[in-house]
Amino acid sequence: MWQYRELIRNLTVADLKNRYQNTSLGFFWSLLSPLLMAGVLYFVFRHLWGHEEDFAVNILVGVMAWQFFSTGTSSSLRAIVSNVGLVTRVYVPRHILVLSNVLTSLINSLFAFVALLPIILILRSSLPPTVLLFPLVHVVFFVFLFGAGLFLSSLYVYFRDLTQIWDVVIRTLFFASPIMYPVTIIPAYIMPYYMLNPVTQFIIIYRDVMVAGQLPSPYSMAVVCGFAVLAYAVGSLTFRRLERRFAEQM
Amino acid sequence: MSAIIVDNISKKYRIPHEKKSTLFQNIVGVIKRQFSYEEFWALKDVSFEVKRGEALGIIGRNGSGKSTLLKVLARILYPDSGSVSINGKVACFLQLGVGFQPELTARENVYIYSSILGLKRREVDRMYDDIFDFAELRKFENMKLKNFSSGMSMRLAFATAFHAVPDTMLIDEVFAVGDEAFRKKCSDKMIQFKAEGKTIVFVSHSLDSVKQLCGRSMLLHEGSIVTTGDTEEVVDHYLAMLQKK
Repeated sequence: MWQYRELIRNLTVADLKNRYQNTSLGFFWSLLSPLLMAGVLYFVFRHLWGHEEDFAVNILVGVMAWQFFSTGTSSSLRAIVSNVGLVTRVYVPRHILVLSNVLTSLINSLFAFVALLPIILILRSSLPPTVLLFPLVHVVFFVFLFGAGLFLSSLYVYFRDLTQIWDVVIRTLFFASPIMYPVTIIPAYIMPYYMLNPVTQFIIIYRDVMVAGQLPSPYSMAVVCGFAVLAYAVGSLTFRRLERRFAEQM
Repeated sequence: MSAIIVDNISKKYRIPHEKKSTLFQNIVGVIKRQFSYEEFWALKDVSFEVKRGEALGIIGRNGSGKSTLLKVLARILYPDSGSVSINGKVACFLQLGVGFQPELTARENVYIYSSILGLKRREVDRMYDDIFDFAELRKFENMKLKNFSSGMSMRLAFATAFHAVPDTMLIDEVFAVGDEAFRKKCSDKMIQFKAEGKTIVFVSHSLDSVKQLCGRSMLLHEGSIVTTGDTEEVVDHYLAMLQKK
């Protein structure tokens, strides 16, 4: 992988340029759209849960984490199919296409989270020191998304209706994750199943370190690391198996 | 010293009677039990070696497995059995300008394309001027590729490709496009590479250019090697075979 670092960097930079050059506000859209979405969620749901502590900030953090998940998976899903030439006309290790795609989403989300810091500072008048753990959490989330990307992009070569299916999954997960509501509203008997959603686990940890200022419990860190390792293992096994007939399928 | 060793390669294509490209179609297929497909062996037990610095020509009729063989060598396709080992760096030219991005400038595209072909940034920095002089596109280096004519992007791709040549080149007909002058430039360049000791595998329908470039050739027919040897003899064999049909 290391010997292809130039290619990975070039593809990522090209991807970033392609995403932003075509929009008039360019790069600011990637910040603006989650902020606007968080604003909408805040105004719609503040009557229900506005009394909760740090409701607005929690929505912002939730939306940013969600954005990384949803754009990361739905754009890496197309990483192989949208690069027909690089798959069928020349040899580059195919997982590089997925990696550079997820890296693009990572860079986007880094900007978004960094832009979030001053907002948190204004709304809460302090930043918790645990925010220093953010990079660690983000790296774990990145590994999780890379694994998911490998899995989805290789299946998409064979099953072209996967975009529609994944759209539905994404929509469902949006409501099944604590983005616009607090986790406390979930009834106890559903809780064990509710916590199986990786996005929920990640959002809770992001809020711990960025808003509440508490260290995530070793248990929940172990759970997200487990999710990341599992996603990467399943993703790369699937990818390696399906990769063999990519060029024939496309 | 062999640059390429190909050992007993076979490649099978599955051609389904009904192509299923979605999960829905697959589920319907399971219910209706429609999973029949034709098997088509594009390559059958192909073995050969190419020495370092040698140029091997591969000829044969349409559908004889030439391109499949080249793609297997390039690792684009996986063989169903057998193995390929190639020493040193390989670049394959099945098409020029793979990965060109219309929204980016010529300059950026040169860097992207070179890294696809396996070049380091520093190496491209060094050859950058040569590439643009060769392509005669110096004035347009900061123009977006979407504003290039097809001839211009062709020249850019060609110039980049030929400055990025590693030890082994796999070439499939790509240089047969373009006008007479362009083709002349390409064949000159290839003869120069051969003189420099690069290993070349060359697939072509143009028997003249095979004769010009390759000392040794291989004739494929329906996925098997018919004969290998001196290019003149192999070409004669091929022409005789065509005559008989």
